[in-house]
Amino acid sequence: MPVEYELDIPQSLDEALNALASDNGSSVTPLAGGTNLIIDIRSRRERPARVVGLDYVSELRAIDCTSERVTIGSRTTVTDLLDSAEIAKAAPSLVDAARVFAGHMVRNAATVGGNIACGSPAADLVPPLMSLDAEVTLSSKSGSRTVALADYFTGYKQDVRNADELITQVAWDRLPEHSVNTFRKLGRRKGDAITVTGVALTVVVEDGVCQRARIALGSVGPTVFRARQAEALLEGKVLSNELFDAAARKAASESSPIDDVRASAEYRLHTIETLTRRLLTQAWARLA
Amino acid sequence: MSQQNISADAQPNVKYNQVGKSLTRTDAPGKAAGRTPYAGDYVMPGMLHMRVVRADIASAKLTRLDVTKARALPGVVCILTADDVAGREAATDIPGQTGQKRMDTDQQILVHERVKYYGEPIALIAAESRDVANAALELVEFDLEPIPGVYDPEEAMKPGSPIVQGIDNIVAEHKIRKGDPEKALAEADLVIENTFHTPFQEHAFLEPEVGLAWTDENEVVNIRVSTQVIEHFRAIADAIGVPHNKVRIRGALVGGGFGGKEDVTVEIYLALMAKATGRPVRLEYTREDSFVGHGKRHPFKLTYKTGVTRDGRITGMDVYILADSGAYVFLSPYVLLYGAVAAPGPYKVENLNVYAQAVATNNMFTSAFRGFGGMQACAAYEQQMDEVAKALDMDPIEFRRRNYLKTGEAISTGFVPPSAIWTEECVDKAWAALGEPTVSSDHIKIGQGIAAYQQSYGRLTFLHDTSECWVGVEMDGTVIVRSGVTDIGAGQISALGQIAVEVLGVTLENVVIYNSDSAVTPLAGTTTATRALYMTGNAAKMAAEAVRERLSERAAREFDVQVDQIHMAFNVVSVIDNPDKSMAFVDLVKICASEGIHRSELSMFRAPFSDYLNPETGQGQAHPDYVYGAQAIEVAVDTDTGEVEVLKSIAAHDIGQCINKAAVEGQIEGGTQNGQGYALSEEMLYEEGKLVTPSFSEYLMPTSMDMPKVQTILLESRSGLGPFGSKGIGEPALTPVAPAIANAVANAIGVRIFELPITPERIIKALKEKQAAN
Ligand SMILES: Cc1cc2nc3c(=O)[nH]c(=O)nc-3n(C[C@H](O)[C@H](O)[C@H](O)COP(=O)(O)OP(=O)(O)OC[C@H]3O[C@@H](n4cnc5c(N)ncnc54)[C@H](O)[C@@H]3O)c2cc1C
Repeated sequence: MPVEYELDIPQSLDEALNALASDNGSSVTPLAGGTNLIIDIRSRRERPARVVGLDYVSELRAIDCTSERVTIGSRTTVTDLLDSAEIAKAAPSLVDAARVFAGHMVRNAATVGGNIACGSPAADLVPPLMSLDAEVTLSSKSGSRTVALADYFTGYKQDVRNADELITQVAWDRLPEHSVNTFRKLGRRKGDAITVTGVALTVVVEDGVCQRARIALGSVGPTVFRARQAEALLEGKVLSNELFDAAARKAASESSPIDDVRASAEYRLHTIETLTRRLLTQAWARLA
Repeated sequence: MSQQNISADAQPNVKYNQVGKSLTRTDAPGKAAGRTPYAGDYVMPGMLHMRVVRADIASAKLTRLDVTKARALPGVVCILTADDVAGREAATDIPGQTGQKRMDTDQQILVHERVKYYGEPIALIAAESRDVANAALELVEFDLEPIPGVYDPEEAMKPGSPIVQGIDNIVAEHKIRKGDPEKALAEADLVIENTFHTPFQEHAFLEPEVGLAWTDENEVVNIRVSTQVIEHFRAIADAIGVPHNKVRIRGALVGGGFGGKEDVTVEIYLALMAKATGRPVRLEYTREDSFVGHGKRHPFKLTYKTGVTRDGRITGMDVYILADSGAYVFLSPYVLLYGAVAAPGPYKVENLNVYAQAVATNNMFTSAFRGFGGMQACAAYEQQMDEVAKALDMDPIEFRRRNYLKTGEAISTGFVPPSAIWTEECVDKAWAALGEPTVSSDHIKIGQGIAAYQQSYGRLTFLHDTSECWVGVEMDGTVIVRSGVTDIGAGQISALGQIAVEVLGVTLENVVIYNSDSAVTPLAGTTTATRALYMTGNAAKMAAEAVRERLSERAAREFDVQVDQIHMAFNVVSVIDNPDKSMAFVDLVKICASEGIHRSELSMFRAPFSDYLNPETGQGQAHPDYVYGAQAIEVAVDTDTGEVEVLKSIAAHDIGQCINKAAVEGQIEGGTQNGQGYALSEEMLYEEGKLVTPSFSEYLMPTSMDMPKVQTILLESRSGLGPFGSKGIGEPALTPVAPAIANAVANAIGVRIFELPITPERIIKALKEKQAAN
């Protein structure tokens, strides 16, 4: 379907931020891999007046791992994540998600920034990043700020980003030794499926006690979110199967899924519980 | 046929030089290199672009239609509405060769007043560019006043229900009766009753409907179109009101059909617009158009009552079938008939009662889809066989073994298939290949299942089906084949070449095939109903044999031997047992040419003709013959999430005789994927007739990630009615897949889900119910 829009193709981050600065970005839409945006334009869900293509903003396509911190540029593609040996070590859950993300062609185009910015509760990279306590950097012509990913979304497809800001990177502190970080996506088929329920988990254990627990859930609420009450049940405790049962039930009770063509809310609640329990049990077995 | 002498192993057929081999298909190089034009690749100077305006409510009255704004848009050339086709209708029935048409089966071309299904075409737009046509689409204004509709066939049969077709919405009924089923059920040791539900299914061909039409210097409307049936030129001519010889269909290689391009799709719209504008016009459906633009597979509800003795013999069976025909009749009566005939499956049932009804609703109309009712029946009878075995506490294969229909025995209609019935051989081989089950773990349960089937090949015999093919030899030794047959990707035309060169003793590189032109290639009939190889393959063989006879007579004279001493193979003509006497095939052809010996032949093959089945008992002949085979499946079910993974998939079919082995395997692998989607994931969900899964992100076919390696076991009884004893594989490849998966899932989790697809959600629900019951 024809929709006419102006297309800007900035050659650097500065140029991109300049382009977004015109009328405070209100009529400007960033375009990364286009795997959401182009589809939305074709179906008329989006009718942008001006599109800023990020293809040549090479600063944004980078993976940087130090001994303390991991930083991923927003224009990094899902395939880039899979090709990185460092990410495989530093963020197993992200690799779990990247592996079952769409199909080859979409993985080659789809970006980390686009996955976060699209705001979908089914965005597969978001639960892993949230379980890693990732922070999002937002930049505009007038400066940069950093927001915890867990605080980034404010409602269904709503976020704290101002129209003239770009997501430039996500970053987090590396996990300590005794930790497990995993993600399980449940879809209606193995290849190219939209997530029905997604569970990302981080557990850090020291001296037999759970120091940190992160449970981030996808597709069971208006946004991806952390099941903070379930996490609280685990932190500071000696882990056990009873605790996992309780945490899994709690995670389900913190969820507010809807019925759609893929699954019913009831099924989603059931699988949040079973998958959370399973991931916790498996994590525990690996840490023991 | 001396079937007793034939071993059930598929030995390579040493008798043949070309047939039975996995030769590179004649259509393969062009496709692989991207040279092959599909219908959508054709363009013409001055061509216009079309779009179809569609209703967005399933049951409504069109109260206002205003195209003035759209017409005023610069670049819009023509907009057609119902007013422009007043008094015209489009046939939805297949008359076959008898020319008879069922009453009240025509469909309005464009909505005149009443909208009966979501997506029904209201207006046609032609514009100078695709963009303008798209823009005009949004400028067409119309108002639809909703009318209460009916979306469930059971509701549609109740008195007072909204009427969609006829007087009571019932568009077809069939009965099959033999023996005394009531008595048999009353006297059975055990009667098992179950109801099974099968869903809508979308053909989902890669290439959506597309065509290009133009009027030529003789006022003939030419349509280059992606279709399974070039013979629609007659129905198209009737619809636009010209003599049949004023419409010419030029097919192209088709990017998938599966029955979805068996009915007319874009042709009438193209023909109307080409005539109205006098310019070439092109119409390509978007994927969204395609989802609502062609008929789907009929959902069936099937209730089985099976009576058995304690020792596992079926004494009687009662089957009720209810099919959703959607808003128009199309091929529903025939699909339903296939279902009724197939109802007992490949088993001997002496006392049988089948009652089948197809009912109109305001859902999407349903029509042909690979398997054509026979596969819906299989989805039910093979699950029922497992349920009965379970009630008898008997091994499911042992229970089947006690009831198999054997070669020479009559099927449901009293007709005795002329070929071998190798169900048992296929089941045993497939099951053996499945091997020991993988070991179950905590929440991963393993299950194995089998399904056997009977599926016809060839059209209904009361349609009096025929097919023509022309074979000739050029002076350079090239074999030319001309036939109207359409190739929908399965290798239909290449098979004709392989047959012709086998007979004429040349190699496949030396064949050129001209196909799919309703005006200049001999009409071969539809590429549907697993008939193309059977019908046109036989015609090709007859024609090639006639040419061979004349060539070998001349060769016999040349070598001064009897005709039966002449051997023709690999482009050489020689005398049997005397290699000194030989010449190149091309040299023989040259001699024949210079002497005026006729080097070509046009042959017609006629299927067996029958009258219509007895309307009260359904006894008589329905099809020429049947294919038998089996699928064995192993699944892993995750009892936490309800996910099903197909671990092993083994298909064993008696295909009679392979013509191209690789093509047969291709059909079986594709059929397995098609059936796996039907069993597990493909769902067309409708809300008040509106499709709410209208794209490939909601309509979920198995991807390569979801497919196991498919193992094919080919049995060759060489007993079929096709060329060289072949049967067919297009539809049979699909038929047993879904029930085999359903049986494997039931075996894994100990509870059956009576409705396809077996979604994770339904599995979790069934497991919870089972837990609650314990
Ligand atoms: C066939 C198919 C399968 C898919 N499968 C999956 C899947 O399995 N899992 C999954 O999570 N998603 C899936 N998706 C959705 C999509 O691929 C992802 O959400 C992807 O990460 C989006 O990234 P993109 O670069 O293509 O974003 P775009 O489409 O370019 O942009 C998406 C949105 O983000 C905004 N945006 C992009 N970059 C920035 C930035 N740096 N700063 C601010 N805003 C920005 C855009 O303006 C737009 O609103 C699939 C899509 C398709 C077509």
